[in-house]
Amino acid sequence: MTEQDGYNLRLYVAGQTPKSVAAIANLKKLCETHLPGRYTIEVIDLMKDPALAQRDQIVAIPTLIRQLPEPLKRIIGDLSNAEKVLVGLDIAPS
Amino acid sequence: MTLSTRTVQDERPRNEAEETVEAIHQGNVDAVVVQGPEGPQVIMLQGADAPYHVLVERMSDGALTLDGSGSIVYVNSRLCALTAQTTAELVGRNFASLFSGAVPVQSADDSASEAQLIRADGGPLPVSVWMRQMTMGGVVATLVTLTDLSIHRHAEEVASAERFARSILEQATDAIVVLALDGRITHASGVAEQLAGASPVGQLFSDAFPLDAQSARHQGTLARFSRESLDRALATKPFHGVEVKLRKEGLSGRSFLLSAGPLVNDAKAIVGSIVTLIDITERKRAEEQQTMLVAELNHRVKNILAIVQSVAGQTLRTSPSLPAFNKAFSGRIQAVSIAHDILTQTRWIGIGLNELLSTVLAPYGIGEGRLITEGAPVLLEARLVLPLSMVLHELATNASKYGALSAPFGKVAISWRLRDDGRRLELIWLERGGPAVEHRGARGFGTTLIDRVVRFDLDGEASLDFPPEGLRCVLGFALSAETSPEELPGSAVRTD
Repeated sequence: MTEQDGYNLRLYVAGQTPKSVAAIANLKKLCETHLPGRYTIEVIDLMKDPALAQRDQIVAIPTLIRQLPEPLKRIIGDLSNAEKVLVGLDIAPS
Repeated sequence: MTLSTRTVQDERPRNEAEETVEAIHQGNVDAVVVQGPEGPQVIMLQGADAPYHVLVERMSDGALTLDGSGSIVYVNSRLCALTAQTTAELVGRNFASLFSGAVPVQSADDSASEAQLIRADGGPLPVSVWMRQMTMGGVVATLVTLTDLSIHRHAEEVASAERFARSILEQATDAIVVLALDGRITHASGVAEQLAGASPVGQLFSDAFPLDAQSARHQGTLARFSRESLDRALATKPFHGVEVKLRKEGLSGRSFLLSAGPLVNDAKAIVGSIVTLIDITERKRAEEQQTMLVAELNHRVKNILAIVQSVAGQTLRTSPSLPAFNKAFSGRIQAVSIAHDILTQTRWIGIGLNELLSTVLAPYGIGEGRLITEGAPVLLEARLVLPLSMVLHELATNASKYGALSAPFGKVAISWRLRDDGRRLELIWLERGGPAVEHRGARGFGTTLIDRVVRFDLDGEASLDFPPEGLRCVLGFALSAETSPEELPGSAVRTD
């Protein structure tokens, strides 16, 4: 995987809240389906270190940040609407 | 605390901020990050209503909320179960589409109304619907709960069936108990309670109704079981009509028919048994009495046949011609028949002497003043009736053929008195006004029969005198049997 075609994703969650748990599950499923072998996910638990919210100016949880490929994109919510997530991340349906 | 928007950079596209606000507004987030005095803080977006949400999701009634236009905006999981539909299928639908028939509306007195909820997988489900409209933050919403009435109805049916079964048990005329699989009594009929002396519910069957081991041993079916295993056997195996006795005070002489059959539940699984104890004491007594009566009848028929045979033989030997035989034999059999009528009518108890004379001598004019009776009332035992009837028949026949009754003005005086402190009877037959008697020397069958019957069957003696003015016959015999007829030597007739 190269940096050009890979997806570098960062998911901000707050412990085990229902939407945080759902967002992690939905994101993993979606990536396995549409980006197999082409993604990395970094889950950041703001309950453990709220200060990390400042890096991406996180306001609502859960929030997904697409760091790569640029430009940076963000999607708020539990990512249950797969279509909306694919559009938001500019991923063509496979 | 207010949301900090100062961290949102000015150069960020406007739609990102809007998206964030919209996501919060739509409930797509469950936490927010705010800028506190010591840096960013995570705040959970759980309100005070969270515990109630849990309660509503867990409650056993269906619940839903409607918006101002009557569209469903929320359903709990119980409602999904009641309608057999998913949340996604239900949310957004019109409330009225849930029901067949009348659509429930909020009642003025806050009471519930009944309605038929449509199930996706079958017929309508009766429900009780409660509704209340509320305004929350300027938004009109209606709260609705739906209670499954089929459960209540089923419970009512179960309760009704229980009452029905109990009334059967209470009214049953036999002892009926219901056993659980461990042999303990769960229900008992009124008769079973009486039999046990108190309510046997909760006791082991063998404790409440201890079977007489002696009687059970004779019944192979039960003998295989010890007292402990009997309880379990009765609760799990069928028994049909095993005769037992109970080892209980006051029931020692009584016999019971023990039966047990399985008790099955709706799922056809055996959950115990129904045991009945039918008191067959009276039935057994009646059966024994019937057996005895049949044996007695058999005995008497044989006796009668023996008498007929004896009378026929002796009449034949002393009859000069067939017509003479026919007449004498018919008369004697008639006498036997009359005696039997008397015995049957008096149920073999016996008869008064006066009554016997009136019956036996009726064909010879006892009611016309030609036969005169005199004596104190005497009760004759049944065993005396047949022989005495035959003797009287012989005397009357002789009188009508050769003696006082053969002449227009002849009479017979019959008198009696008690002897030996009332133990013996002396009866005198005296004829007057007949043709002059000529003692014929040789004894005819009549006199032979009288002599034999009196001696062997009446255990007495007879003397016959033939003076010219008329026959005088004196009979003496015991009124009570001192020896049983079977012990007597050869007999002309038997009446035992």
